[in-house]
Amino acid sequence: MHPIDPKGHTRRAFLQRSSALAMAGTAMPFALNLSAMSEAAAQSATDYKALVCVFLFGGNDYANTVITYDDDSHGKYSTIRVPQASGGVAIAKDAALAATLLTPTTALPGGRQYALHPSMTELANLFNVDGKVAVQLNVGPLVVPLSRALYNNSNKKLYPQPPKLFSHNDQQSTWQSSAAEGATVGWGGNIGDLVLGQNSNSLFTCMSVSGNAVFLSGDSALQYQVSTGGAVRINSVSPASGTSLYNSATVKGAMQMLTQQARGHKLENEYTKITKRAVEAEGTVTTAIQSAFATGTFPATGLGNQLAMVARLIRGRSQLGAKRQVFFVSMGGFDLHDNLIANQSGLMKQLSDAMTAFHRQMVVQGVADNVTAFTASDFGRTLQSNGDGSDHGWGSHHFMVGGAVKGKALYGYPQVVSTNNTSTAEGYEGHVGQGRLIPTTSVDQYGATLAKWFGVSDADLPGILPNLKNFGGSLVVNGVTYNYPKDVGFMMPA
Amino acid sequence: MVEEQEVAGAPALEAVRALPEPHLAAADHGHRLSLTAALAASAVLAACGGGGGGGGGGGGAFFGLGTDQATGSTTVSAGSLTALGTTPTAQGYLYTTAKTDDEAARFLLQAQFSASEAEIAAVRSKGYLPWLGEQVDMAAAQTGWEWLSSKPYNTVYTDNMIWNQLMTAPDGFRKRMALVFTEIFVVSANDIGSNWPDYMMAGYWDMMVAGVTTNFRKLLEDVTLNPAMGYYLNTKGNQKENAQGRQPDENYAREVMQLMTLGLYQLNADGTVRKAADGTPIDSYTQDEVTNLARVFTGYDLDIPSNEQGGFPVPGQTYSIETNAWTRRPMSLTENKHSVVEAKFLGATVPANTKGAAALKIALDTLFNHPNVGPFIGKQVIQRLVTSNPSPGYVSRVSAVFADNGAGVRGDMKSVFAAVLLDNEARSPDGLASTDFGRLREPMLRLAQWARTFGVTSVKGTWKVDNTSDSANRLGQSPLRSPSVFNFFRPGYVPPSTVLATEGKAAPEFQLINETTVGGYLNYMQNILVNGYDTKDVFPSYAVEKTLVTDAAALVRRIALVMCANQLSAATLKTITDALATPVVTAASTDAVKLNRIYAAVLLVMASPEYLIQK
Repeated sequence: MHPIDPKGHTRRAFLQRSSALAMAGTAMPFALNLSAMSEAAAQSATDYKALVCVFLFGGNDYANTVITYDDDSHGKYSTIRVPQASGGVAIAKDAALAATLLTPTTALPGGRQYALHPSMTELANLFNVDGKVAVQLNVGPLVVPLSRALYNNSNKKLYPQPPKLFSHNDQQSTWQSSAAEGATVGWGGNIGDLVLGQNSNSLFTCMSVSGNAVFLSGDSALQYQVSTGGAVRINSVSPASGTSLYNSATVKGAMQMLTQQARGHKLENEYTKITKRAVEAEGTVTTAIQSAFATGTFPATGLGNQLAMVARLIRGRSQLGAKRQVFFVSMGGFDLHDNLIANQSGLMKQLSDAMTAFHRQMVVQGVADNVTAFTASDFGRTLQSNGDGSDHGWGSHHFMVGGAVKGKALYGYPQVVSTNNTSTAEGYEGHVGQGRLIPTTSVDQYGATLAKWFGVSDADLPGILPNLKNFGGSLVVNGVTYNYPKDVGFMMPA
Repeated sequence: MVEEQEVAGAPALEAVRALPEPHLAAADHGHRLSLTAALAASAVLAACGGGGGGGGGGGGAFFGLGTDQATGSTTVSAGSLTALGTTPTAQGYLYTTAKTDDEAARFLLQAQFSASEAEIAAVRSKGYLPWLGEQVDMAAAQTGWEWLSSKPYNTVYTDNMIWNQLMTAPDGFRKRMALVFTEIFVVSANDIGSNWPDYMMAGYWDMMVAGVTTNFRKLLEDVTLNPAMGYYLNTKGNQKENAQGRQPDENYAREVMQLMTLGLYQLNADGTVRKAADGTPIDSYTQDEVTNLARVFTGYDLDIPSNEQGGFPVPGQTYSIETNAWTRRPMSLTENKHSVVEAKFLGATVPANTKGAAALKIALDTLFNHPNVGPFIGKQVIQRLVTSNPSPGYVSRVSAVFADNGAGVRGDMKSVFAAVLLDNEARSPDGLASTDFGRLREPMLRLAQWARTFGVTSVKGTWKVDNTSDSANRLGQSPLRSPSVFNFFRPGYVPPSTVLATEGKAAPEFQLINETTVGGYLNYMQNILVNGYDTKDVFPSYAVEKTLVTDAAALVRRIALVMCANQLSAATLKTITDALATPVVTAASTDAVKLNRIYAAVLLVMASPEYLIQK
C-alpha cells in the first residue's frame, strides 16, 4: 500500500503522470460516458477479462496453508514445528488432512505431496474435482534469482535483495508495486493503464472493495474505491437525495459547490477531486450493481462480502462500460505470532469458501473463463515456531482460481523443509534462517503470467514488472537446476 | 492560578460581545480590536500585577517576561517548560504571542482538539509558551481507567471511555498529545484479548496520557512492559529458545525498532535519510539484530498474583475471574523463561547469562540513545500536529530539543511537543499562504472537535459514542482502533495519482481517503450533528450558536473561528453565509427552523476543504 521506486519504473511514471493527471481531472466527463454506455452495452459478453487480487494482510503462514504431506517431508515439518498434540503448531497427518489432499493431474517429482489446511475443503474440491485451482509454490519478491549463498554474498550490486524484507508494510508494497513503502504505482494499475482505452469509462478499470492499495494505481489508471454496499451516495450533495439539505435548497447548492470545487491548495484540491469523482460515479455504479445476490450465494464474511461486490460489478460491466478490469479485495489477521492453530483455521476457511463461491458465481454469469482470482500476502512465515505461532518470512504458497487457470496442478518448486543453518546440510540453500523461504518463483514471474493472460504483450511486461528482465534463465544450486521462466505457465493462452 | 480562572470563567459573555462586530474578511483581523483579548489581558494584569504579559509577537519579539540579569538571555516563566525557553532553538522563535483571535485559534487547534473563546483569550493574554506551560502543569484529570471503574461492570466499553476522554477532559492539550502517542506506539482494541480488554485499553491510554510529561526513555519502558502491548505484539508469554528449536517471538523486537524508535533507515538530525557512498540508504538494523533483540523480550507475562486469581465474582454469573488490577501493572518477568543467550544489536551487547531486567536496560538505553529517535519521533509529531511535509530545518530544531530540553535532558517529551507547536514553521503566516502546508484533519479529530465546540454532553454519563471505524457509514477511523500496528496511515504515505505523488510529497492521512470515506464522513456528520448518540443522550447544546442564529454572518464567523481559525477563504465564507440566508430566520422563527440553520452552518464548515486541511 505504499510504494516504490525501481529507477526505470519511476522515471517512466514521472514522465507519464502529468498527462495521467490531466486525464483524471478533466478528461472524464460523465455525460460523455453516458453516451458511451449504449456502445458498451452492445459489446460482446465474452469480450471481457478481469483479474482479482485477494490480498492476505499480515503475512500468511505458508507451511500450514499448503501443507507438505508425503511421509518424508511431513515428518520433517512435524519435527520442526512440533506436533499440535505436543503443544506445537504442526498439523497432524490425519483423516481431516487426507480430505484436503491435493491430487494434481501430474504428480510432483520426488514423491512430494501437498494437502490444503483441513478447513479448506471447498478450495480443495475446486482443485481436485473441478480443476479450477492451481497452486503456485514458494513465490515471493526477488530482484534476481537467489540461493542462500548468493543472498549472503556481499556483492549487492550483483545480487540485490528486495527492499526491507520481513517488514509488513514494505513487503505489502513490494508485492503490489515492486518497491517499499512510498511507492505510488503498482502492477495492477500498470496493467490497467494498458487497457484504459478499451473501457468506455476508464474510471472503472481499477476498482478496490478494500482500502487504498497501491496495487491498483497506475501511471494513468486511478484506483476507484467502493464499499461492500456499493458506491456511497453522499446525501448532502447528491441530487438523487433531494433538492434540499436541512430544508434549504441554497444550503444544498452550497454543499455541492464547496465539496467539489477546484482548489489552489494541493491537499484541498486532491480531497475535492475525490469527492467530485465519487459524486459523479455513484449513480453509474449504483445502477450497475443492481440488487444483492440471494442469501447464501456468498458466505457472510468480510471477504465473502467483498467478492460478492466484485461479482455484482462484473455482472454490471456493461453499464460500467468495462471490458477489462482489475479488482482488489483483502482479508486481515494473518500476522499470527501467537494462536496460529486457533486462528488460522477460521481465516483459511473464509478464504476457501469465499474464493470458491466467487468462482461458482462467475460460472453462473458465464464469465468463469474470463475472470481470474489470485492470492498475495506480505510474506510467508518462518517454518520454525516461536511457541504457538511463527515469525515474518519471505516466500509463500499462493492460489490461482478461475476457468482460464490450468488447474489441478502445482507450479514452481516444492520448498525445502528445513531450518538448518549448516551450509553443507540438506535444505540450507533454500531458506535464510528459521525456514524463511527464499522464493523460487518471483512475484514478477507470477504477475507476468497473469498479465500475459490478461492481454499484456511481451513488450509491455517489463514496464509493468520491472524485475522481470532479470528472469527467464536458471540457477544451479548444489547441482540442481532451478528455472525462472517469464511465464510460469499456469494460465491458458490470452 | 487566579487569572486563569477569571479568564475561563466568563467565556459565553465575551463570545457574544466579541462576535457580532463587523467582520468582512480575513485580512481585517489584524486591525480588529479583540474585545475578548482586551478583557482577558486586563484580567491577567490585574491578577499578577503586570509584568509585560503578552508581548508583541510576530515581529521578532522574544518572550517578554524578563531578562536574566547575569546572562542577558531572555527567559520566560512557563512552569515545567521554562527551560525550553532558554534553548538556542527557542531563542529563535519569532512568533511568541497571538496578535489576533485567528492566530490564537490556529495555535489551539494544533495544540488540542478545540478552541473556545475563553481559550483564545487566554492564549492571547499569556503568550504561547506560558500557556503551554500551564497546560503541562495542570492537575491530573480523571483517568480512563477510573472512569470505567465508576460505572457498573460491563456497561461501558473502550470506545465510550476514549470518546469521553477526547470529548470532555479538561486537559485537552495533554489528551491531544497522548493521542499522538497512540498513533506511534499502536495498540488496537480491534485485536486484543484477556478477561479485561476495556480496562487493559484504558490502562494503555492512561499510560500515554501520563507519558506526555514523562521522558521518552521511561515511556518506552512502560510501553514495552504494558500488558496491552504484551498482548498486541506478543511479548506476553514470549519464551526463550528451547531444544526443540522454538525461537523467541520477534514481533515486538522488530516493531519497537521499525515503528517506535528508529525507523528503517539511519537518519540525519534533520530527518533526511543517511546514504552510503553509492547513494543507497543505510539500514538501521538487520534481520539478525531483530533476532538478537528478540531474546531481550522473553520471560514476560501478566502480573496476576495468586491472591487476585478468582478475586472477582462476575455479576450475574456463577463464576469468578481475576481482579482487574493487573491491567494497570507492568508485565512481570520469570527469569527461567528469559533467554540468557548473548544478544548483539545496534553496537550493544547483552552478555550471555544477563538477567532480564539488566538486559532490558541495555536494550532500551541503546534504543533511546540512538541518534535516529529525535528526528524519527519528532518528524512524526510534526506530521500529526502541524504539517505533512516539514522542512529539514523544522525537524532538526525539534530533534535538538529532543536531544536537550534546555536543562540537559534528552527525551523530554513535553518540551518536544512544545517545540513542534512553537516553531516558526508552525506559527508563521507563510503556512497560510502556501499551497501545500498543513495536513488533513483526521476524521476522529473532527468528531472530537465537534463535540467539544458545540457543548456535547451525556445526560446519563455513559458516553455511548461507539466504534466509528466503518468507512462507508461512519468515520473510517476510531481512536484506539487502528487496523494494525502500522497505524491508520503511514508517515510516508504518498497518495497515488495525485500532484503530491508527482512532487514526491507525503500526505499520511490521505491513506484514509477514497470515494467511499469522503461520503461516509459527510453522511455520518449530517445525521450526528442533529441527533447525537444513544437516543439523544449524547447531544450537542449549540448554546452559542443559538444566540447568533438570526444573524447568519455572525453565526458563520463564530463557527469558522473556532472550527478552523478562520482559515475559510472569503469566498467560502460568503458562499456559506449566502446559502444560510434562505430560509429567513428571525427571533420569531420556530426552533426547528433555527436549528436547521445551525446544522447547515456546521456541516458546511466541516465539509469545506479549508476546514478539512488544517494549516
